[in-house]
Amino acid sequence: MYISKQWLKQFIPELETITDEDIARSLTMKTVEVEGVEKQGEFLHNVVVGQVLSCEKHPDADKLKLCRVDIGTETVQIVCGGSNVREGMKVALGKIGAKVRWHGEGELVELVKAKIRGVESYGMICAADEIGLGDIFLKQDEAEILDLSYIEAPVGTPLADALGQNDVIFDIDNKSLSNRPDLFGQYGIAREVAAIHKLDLKPYEVPTIPKGKGLDLSVSLEAPEACLRYMAVAIDGVEVKDSPVWMQERLRAVGIRPINTIVDITNYVMMELGQPMHAFDVAQLARNKKQGASVLVRRAVEGETFVTLDEKEHVLSSEMLVIADQEKPIAIAGVMGGKNSEISDTTKTIIFESATFDAKSIRQTSTALGIRTDSSTRFEKSQDPIKAEVGLKRAVELTLELCPNATVVSSVFDEGVWQVAHGPLQVSLKFIQEKIGVEIPRAEILDILTRLGFDVKEKQDVFTITIPSWRATKDISIPEDVVEEIIRMYGYEQVPSTMPVASLTPPPKNALRALEHRVRELLAYEGSFTEVYSYSFNAPELLNGVGENLDDYLELENPIAKDRPFIRRRLVYGLLEHVEKNVHRFDTVKMFEVGKVFSKHEPGDAVINGEPERLPKQDTLLGAVYAKKGDDLPFAELLSVFEQLCERLGVSAQTQKSPVFEIAIAHPGRYADIVVSGTVVGYITELHPAQQERFGIPYRVALLEINLNDLLSLVQEKEQYEPLSLYPAVERDIAIVVERSTEHATLQQAIQEVNPLIVAVELFDVYQGDTVGEGKKSMAYHVVYQSKEKTLEAGEVEKVHREVISMLEKKFGAEMRK
Amino acid sequence: MNVEIKNLKHKFQQAIDEVNDFIKLEEVYQLFFGRKSGELTEIMKNLKELSGEARKEMGKLINEVKTELEDIYSKKKVALQAESWKNIATTEAIDVTQPKIPATEVGHMHPITQIQQQIEQFFISMGFMIVDGPELESDYYNFTALNMPPDHPARDMQDTFYIKGHGDWVMRTQTSPVQVRAMQDYGVPLRMLVPGRVFRNEATDARHEHTFYQVEGMVVDRNITFGDMKGTLEALAKHLYGEETKMRLRPKLYPFVEPGVNGEVTCYLCKGDGCRVCKQTGWLEIFGAGMVHPEVLKAGGVDPEEFGGFAFGLGLNRLVMLKYGIEDIRHFMSGDMRFLGQF
Repeated sequence: MYISKQWLKQFIPELETITDEDIARSLTMKTVEVEGVEKQGEFLHNVVVGQVLSCEKHPDADKLKLCRVDIGTETVQIVCGGSNVREGMKVALGKIGAKVRWHGEGELVELVKAKIRGVESYGMICAADEIGLGDIFLKQDEAEILDLSYIEAPVGTPLADALGQNDVIFDIDNKSLSNRPDLFGQYGIAREVAAIHKLDLKPYEVPTIPKGKGLDLSVSLEAPEACLRYMAVAIDGVEVKDSPVWMQERLRAVGIRPINTIVDITNYVMMELGQPMHAFDVAQLARNKKQGASVLVRRAVEGETFVTLDEKEHVLSSEMLVIADQEKPIAIAGVMGGKNSEISDTTKTIIFESATFDAKSIRQTSTALGIRTDSSTRFEKSQDPIKAEVGLKRAVELTLELCPNATVVSSVFDEGVWQVAHGPLQVSLKFIQEKIGVEIPRAEILDILTRLGFDVKEKQDVFTITIPSWRATKDISIPEDVVEEIIRMYGYEQVPSTMPVASLTPPPKNALRALEHRVRELLAYEGSFTEVYSYSFNAPELLNGVGENLDDYLELENPIAKDRPFIRRRLVYGLLEHVEKNVHRFDTVKMFEVGKVFSKHEPGDAVINGEPERLPKQDTLLGAVYAKKGDDLPFAELLSVFEQLCERLGVSAQTQKSPVFEIAIAHPGRYADIVVSGTVVGYITELHPAQQERFGIPYRVALLEINLNDLLSLVQEKEQYEPLSLYPAVERDIAIVVERSTEHATLQQAIQEVNPLIVAVELFDVYQGDTVGEGKKSMAYHVVYQSKEKTLEAGEVEKVHREVISMLEKKFGAEMRK
Repeated sequence: MNVEIKNLKHKFQQAIDEVNDFIKLEEVYQLFFGRKSGELTEIMKNLKELSGEARKEMGKLINEVKTELEDIYSKKKVALQAESWKNIATTEAIDVTQPKIPATEVGHMHPITQIQQQIEQFFISMGFMIVDGPELESDYYNFTALNMPPDHPARDMQDTFYIKGHGDWVMRTQTSPVQVRAMQDYGVPLRMLVPGRVFRNEATDARHEHTFYQVEGMVVDRNITFGDMKGTLEALAKHLYGEETKMRLRPKLYPFVEPGVNGEVTCYLCKGDGCRVCKQTGWLEIFGAGMVHPEVLKAGGVDPEEFGGFAFGLGLNRLVMLKYGIEDIRHFMSGDMRFLGQF
């Protein structure tokens, strides 16, 4: 929103004592961020009003013209390419030394005497966008120069003066002002500036509306819950023409395009006070019995269509509030007026509306119809009903001033039920000082609140604070709100920094978070994996393609671009997509993610604590993927990294063949459950080779997923160590040929169980091939024998080793290899 | 025999002097000490023939000589060793700039994880607990409990993902819902920190991302002041950007705090003079904060008459982008190892 310094000056006569920078800084620090300060006329140094005396074709260029331009003190020769330049025209003349932006683009360039196609040119006839006026004067044609013929100022007048371009415009971030309905007008900001800088603010005085009759106007408020106050008055004899220059300048300064007297007046009041106004052309309204007009504030009829001022048709629903005559809606209340009652050049009689609509109702209607206007933006913030009356009076005052023949022709209607929540609030000095942490003196508190318009009485260190109507709609209602007023005016920078004082209680541990971080650190810094993040949302094409059942997935109501509506249940698909993005650049891709997934069918945290309804369960998973060019068994590498991780975590995990697979894209021969203390916490597998193409991955990929919530309860800190044996260990090797289906884990356990003297069984070679026969494999183990009591003799070891061999032969049909 | 022994020493010395490599040295050693026919060994064998005092005396003499010979031998060995290392500067020289082949693989933690851990550790050191909350959250905790009842205009400011079939479920738009959950679960006094993933339904571009990370902090206790909030935030700012960092606060509306502020810190790069990082302002806006609104305390089951507190929130993506000068927020979710490999 734009704030005009000239406009503020109307209300703060001493404003010139404050620099523009101070105004911007103090508003930013105490009220609302000033995002930009634009000094009008910045581009207009050395630009004057000129008049084209003659205009001839350039001897050597078809599109250029040779002009003689009167600039008051002299006549200069200018070469001009403007498509519309003609004799007698008043133009913006950039003299030598003026700074312009060629064709409205690029850096500013200082004009110098130039020869253009052999002819000397002493300056430039400017287009609007070349001198920073592009927003005000819209070009019809690319090569068009600014036509100032309408200007009365004599030639030679500096253009800034001629156009009234001597204002300073503050651009404030009103998006963050949703609690301050009072700051949506120049006067509200003026009040704030005056309070900050301790300057006098002129009261906003408006004359009473003269009594009038002539038009039989009736107003009925049928939906008082959606409209707190509805005021209206009719005026006859208005002249719809251009509004005066001063009004146009003000409106332009704050970014409003002038239209005509009546529309400009409604906008002017809105911009000045923050009170949206509307004017209806009485001639367009249905006549009542006495040839008068009836205004109804009612709910729309479901399905009713309505064409707004911007000529768009809307289908209304029964919750929406409209302004209607006896036959039809004539405005969507507080949002936008209708084409059917628009002010036109022929309008003679108008009805001014000044109302206070319910914020929620306006917001719902505006959202449902997708229309946001200056009016709806203001009403959404809960406007002050008192302002509706002030606004109406101001609009009538301006109308009578601008249209000398206008008269009020109805009584002033004032419907609705409302009251102002003035309070008062009782706030103690102690409360204020304790909340802030500073002993702000009582007098300063009184001064701050009074300057902001609060009425304050103080008795025995308790302030009785009456809230002004413009702050009472929903902004100030509790003592904490008053604290904010005091602290921001007092200055945040003046509050000394302290640290909270608390007892030295150690915080409860967050074991899951600790595990997440430990897993991340180990995988990244020991396992050389790279941590990635992926989106929580999946595309249906992907999920269908990999055999997921979409019924198991939660879905977004309003996904972005509709392409990824499903909420993830697994991390692996996101990881596989990331593999594809990297595998063409890197020979090895090792990635993991730790993140939450969402289980549609399992209950998680309470929707509201203490109530039975549950949100979906949201466990934290670890997912990891590994692919390497040339590695056709990535399963083994990933498993080894995982085993190393488990070792560090103090978890003893086993892989176990499983008849069912967690994911349909698993390699059926390379899939295992990961089991910790009898609980399946995840799985490890390879991507089915047939699925590689789907993901665009040229190599074999291993992947795993572990549920960290499940793992957490199984993680144990190491509590024991094995005392070192005093006696030497004896190592014997054994090589056997067994059926290929025989699992290492089974063999290892069987060997281990033969005798307590066997302290370790380590696999050191596996071979499958012609020499061992079809369907067979050769496995070689180091078997370590050791006693805790004595040095083992060769015979003792030999005896046990033979038991191992015979067990393997009997139990596994193993054949010894020599 | 006596003479023989004395000559032996001379003979050994001579033989050793002629030696100039380890093989020869061992040959000479064997010549004298060899088990079968070493000269000294032979003499010792002959000792058996003597008896009584003579044997004793001779034995002593032989031992003395033996010690001397071994001394000569080991000195020579040390000398040869030293000699052999004399030229390793060239014989064993390597290219010290040559890396190991193949290169050692190095893993990386995501930069947001790293800054999250850094901030967690900082607050843990001040006795804060680290709390987690659901990413798919109820409308109640995400909005209503935070003083944003249905139809509150501030809800519009946060483009929200809703869940199909569950009108009252959302993807959380902020980490703030955990404020109320934590008060309910842990009671007060409370010092807690909630880092986590949040979601906003907005189109992605270089500056906008629908999935990003925040850290939420809250302190609730008796006698908590605005000054305490300022002090805590200043401590964080200095932890992140150095001791000389200054902070300033500006008013800002967040429905769940009153008063509410925006926090800016002096730009870590230009120290406040203005540069490209701070867009010439000298300040970086890095957090929102405020004194916990009484309605939020009530929702958490806390009596606002007795307890008060403050809360603050930071965008982690922004912190990381500022720190490294990252130009495009989409890198974080891209999984691009060229990006992630830099951290």
